[in-house]
Amino acid sequence: MDNVNYNRKINFGWLFKMAVRDSRRNRARLLLFISSIVFGIAALVAIYSFKYNIQNDINGQAATLIGADLSITGNKEPGKKLQTLLDSIGGERSEERSFASMIYFTRTQGTRLVNIKALKGAFPYYGSLETTPLKAGTGFKSGKYALVDKTLMLQFTAKVGDSIKVGNATFVIAGILNKAPGQTGLSSGIAPIVYIPFQYLADTKLIGTGSRINFAYYYKFPQGYNIEKLVKKIDPALDKAEYGSDTVENRKENTGRSFGDLSRFLSLVAFIALLLGCVGVASAINIYIREKIASIAIMRCMGVKASEAFLIYLIQITGIGLIGSVAGAILGTSVQHLLPYVLKDFLPITISVSISWMAIWQGIGLGIIISVLFALLPLINIRNISPLNTLRMSFEETTTKRDPFRWLVYLLVVGFITGFSYLQLGDWLGAGVFTVGILVAFLILTAIAWLLIRFTRLLIMSSWSYILRQGFANLYRPNNQTIILTVSIGLSTAFICTLFLIQQLLISQVSLSSSGNQSNMILFDIQTSQEKPLAELTRKQGLPVLSQVPIITMRLDKVNGKTAADAKKDSTLHISPRAFAWEYRVTYRDSLTNSEQITSGKFIGKAAPGRDIPVSAEERFANRINVKVGDKLVFNVQGIMMNAYVSSIRKVNWNKIQTNFQVVFPAGVLEDAPQFHVLLTHVPSQPVSAAYQQAVVKQFPNISIIDLGLVLTVLDELLDKIGYVIKFMSGFSIVTGIIVLISSVRISKYQRIKESVLLRTMGASRRQIFSITALEYLFLGTLSASTGIVIAIGSSWLLAKYRFDMPYHVNLWPVAAMFFAITALTVIIGLLNSRGILNKPPLEVLRSNA
Amino acid sequence: MKHPLKIIPVLALTVFLAACGGDKKPAESDSTSTAAGNAQPKKTILFFGDSLTAGYGLDDATEAFPGVVQAKIDSAKLPYTIVNGGLSGETSAGGRSRIDWLLKQPFDIFVLELGANDGLRGLPVASTAENLQAIIDKVKTKYPQAKLVMLGMQVPTNMGATYSSDFKNIFPTLATKNNMTLVPFLLQGVGGVRKLNQADGIHPTEEGAKIVAANVWAELKGIL
Repeated sequence: MDNVNYNRKINFGWLFKMAVRDSRRNRARLLLFISSIVFGIAALVAIYSFKYNIQNDINGQAATLIGADLSITGNKEPGKKLQTLLDSIGGERSEERSFASMIYFTRTQGTRLVNIKALKGAFPYYGSLETTPLKAGTGFKSGKYALVDKTLMLQFTAKVGDSIKVGNATFVIAGILNKAPGQTGLSSGIAPIVYIPFQYLADTKLIGTGSRINFAYYYKFPQGYNIEKLVKKIDPALDKAEYGSDTVENRKENTGRSFGDLSRFLSLVAFIALLLGCVGVASAINIYIREKIASIAIMRCMGVKASEAFLIYLIQITGIGLIGSVAGAILGTSVQHLLPYVLKDFLPITISVSISWMAIWQGIGLGIIISVLFALLPLINIRNISPLNTLRMSFEETTTKRDPFRWLVYLLVVGFITGFSYLQLGDWLGAGVFTVGILVAFLILTAIAWLLIRFTRLLIMSSWSYILRQGFANLYRPNNQTIILTVSIGLSTAFICTLFLIQQLLISQVSLSSSGNQSNMILFDIQTSQEKPLAELTRKQGLPVLSQVPIITMRLDKVNGKTAADAKKDSTLHISPRAFAWEYRVTYRDSLTNSEQITSGKFIGKAAPGRDIPVSAEERFANRINVKVGDKLVFNVQGIMMNAYVSSIRKVNWNKIQTNFQVVFPAGVLEDAPQFHVLLTHVPSQPVSAAYQQAVVKQFPNISIIDLGLVLTVLDELLDKIGYVIKFMSGFSIVTGIIVLISSVRISKYQRIKESVLLRTMGASRRQIFSITALEYLFLGTLSASTGIVIAIGSSWLLAKYRFDMPYHVNLWPVAAMFFAITALTVIIGLLNSRGILNKPPLEVLRSNA
Repeated sequence: MKHPLKIIPVLALTVFLAACGGDKKPAESDSTSTAAGNAQPKKTILFFGDSLTAGYGLDDATEAFPGVVQAKIDSAKLPYTIVNGGLSGETSAGGRSRIDWLLKQPFDIFVLELGANDGLRGLPVASTAENLQAIIDKVKTKYPQAKLVMLGMQVPTNMGATYSSDFKNIFPTLATKNNMTLVPFLLQGVGGVRKLNQADGIHPTEEGAKIVAANVWAELKGIL
């Protein structure tokens, strides 16, 4: 071989040819590997496509919370300066004046306080004024028409075509208002809404000196417009004019944590999709290259340089990665299109299915990158394969010297994962933590596998039956698949299980704020004498009395003997002086409600006569006035001083629609104090609401009613949707996770062929081989699934605590079920893998797979 | 005019704004503390009303119009002490229940300032009139010697002409019927004037309260 030119130039054409030739050797086997890549990338693309589509859907719906990109509101006529500013803001603009007024139904002769909204422009830009008939929502602006809230129509038995008198002007009811965007503020719940066209506002003669009018301006901007920047710029001027602004982002934040939770969840899902892709692709590539060692050694014998061998396989892997990724992207996109169609009868939401090119390009790109990155590790070893390997037929991994390139590859892999997490999370700390988390999980699994290999070797006793010994020995003997399978099964289990646990936690949070029997109607200013008859009336109408509480107004006079003056003088007391200026709405009862939780002290439900009164203070209130359990308070209950002490401190869930209090008195002291009552109920529909309101107003004219129905439907719909999206995405990701897991176990098919065939040739029965294989996979499955689950519990706890910031209460039974399912799945796939060998004559198998 | 629904923050903001922790708006207020220790043969005036009497949004109860009236009484060296019986958010129905609590302490002059919240909530005029009459009846029964003063109120123009005029007429009608001294419109010269009202547009500022007090003083001084 002296005449070989070792300095020959790299001939790329030849390398390509070799790459293709090599792949030809066993197409069936290649297909199996590619399928693993396909599943990994399909999972990634489908999850991404859903994510992008769903994000758009939810953002679109969230925009209906306000109905425009930006709203600017105030309660006085804008001055010249403000008017110039308002005019200078680009985009489309709508204008609205709203005020309370008494309207008169001319036919039925009823009078009622309503919230008049005079509208000019195309508002709402997102969502629509949903009316019956449909076209009234936009058509009412063409003449002297009005849109009237549905409950109000029912209450006054009004029909479309009737007239209402607003001030001095008469309007024809053009439509019934069923739903209106931007009505989530409480102000809109106080009185039912009536829309009139702006151009007839002056005719009502309601605007003049002494009128109380709210001014609103709604803007819509072209896509991509930087609204945050604009708001930052105009806010000081608005503040000065006593105006305020609101954006969709703002509203989302104030709507509760659900939006934040959703986007955090979706980025978690995307991250896990990537890792599933990695597991799918990496486990395939790793085994593929290992199997190629013999061929590479032969090629080296024929004079192929190490670098050329390296390049041949790099080209081949890139090709495989490309083919797999493209196929995966196609599969993923078709799943994304088919699934909502197939499930459309079961899903209570519509998920839009537009092709997400972003997801597809990301999928293909990531597929190739992952293939190459994870191929690099075994490929680097190629350079060290000596021709002698052919002769030795050694299956031991070529001894790895301290190869600096290895570390470079590790670095690349870690860098890739970190970079990707950064893209998902947007902050380096989070990305770092995620990457370290994954590394730790990986190391734990590797360590477990390594320990397994070590210990089974020591553990096996010669007294065991042959099958048992063989099964266990498979775990550590040369050509074992312990590490690769433990890692891939373990990681997939960990991802699936983490998603499941986090999903459980999130759903419990979402349902807290929007579940069925929540109150949507508040009645207040109920006098003590009206309390019982009203409750009776409510029940008679078939409505639940969700809560009925007395409210007493009082002021704080002293905190541990210190008065307002002391607090003002001495800031070291850490008592907010404002605490003395507030009027406290206080209730009394003998027990806690389910939205309260005692954090210190003991709740005392009954006051002992003649002694200091044990009261319960809300956590933040206690902080503001700097008191602990046992500290003394003096309350001024409309002229009567009451000595109290803090007997307990409560944590209150302010998220729920119910009456919550900073201070709760025990029963037995405030019963005679001046008080009014509040009643919360849930009305199932607008007709019921109308009938109920009518009955209440008739019998108790002084009671005021806030119907939150209209406000809450918009919100409820959104929360429901978020809940389903979370369930759907986690369900889908879990299923894809299982498919990836299956395919990564499936690629171990060829690992055991030779041994099984040899065993059969030597006379082993099918049953014996079957049992040996079952034992091996059972052991691998149990160990890696349980490790994966432990990792999942740890990681979901960390995620709940640090990323989602919520309490960790999970139901572990489904997790136990998952453990058994995954173990069973591993064994079944393992057995399916060897089915071919068991059912065919050994020679046939040997020939086709030599 | 006054804040219609002081209850809303309690009930509902807590619902939507988890962060707000139910912060109630500051209000100075309500109560009869000035009544303590009146051993001298001083006479007592009870101002029974809502947030206008309580001085909602003002730094100190003495800045509310009853406080300003007290200052006028003091500077006129008249032997009267004012008891501030204002409660933010109070309606006529609420007052009808609460009056018993305040009737426990004797007084010589009773000033009635209620109804504004009824008007802002569009409650039926008849029921407001009925509740006010019931309050007057209770006072007359317990302290037949007490002189009575009625503070008149109006609702904003935007409520509609019919309702506005019906509402406005409650006060002179009841005053005549019960032989009460009438202040025709408590917020005369303040209502609807931007700079004399707080940001909510309905509660007078310190400056506004002085004008309100002057409106009351004009009629009140005659019966002292």
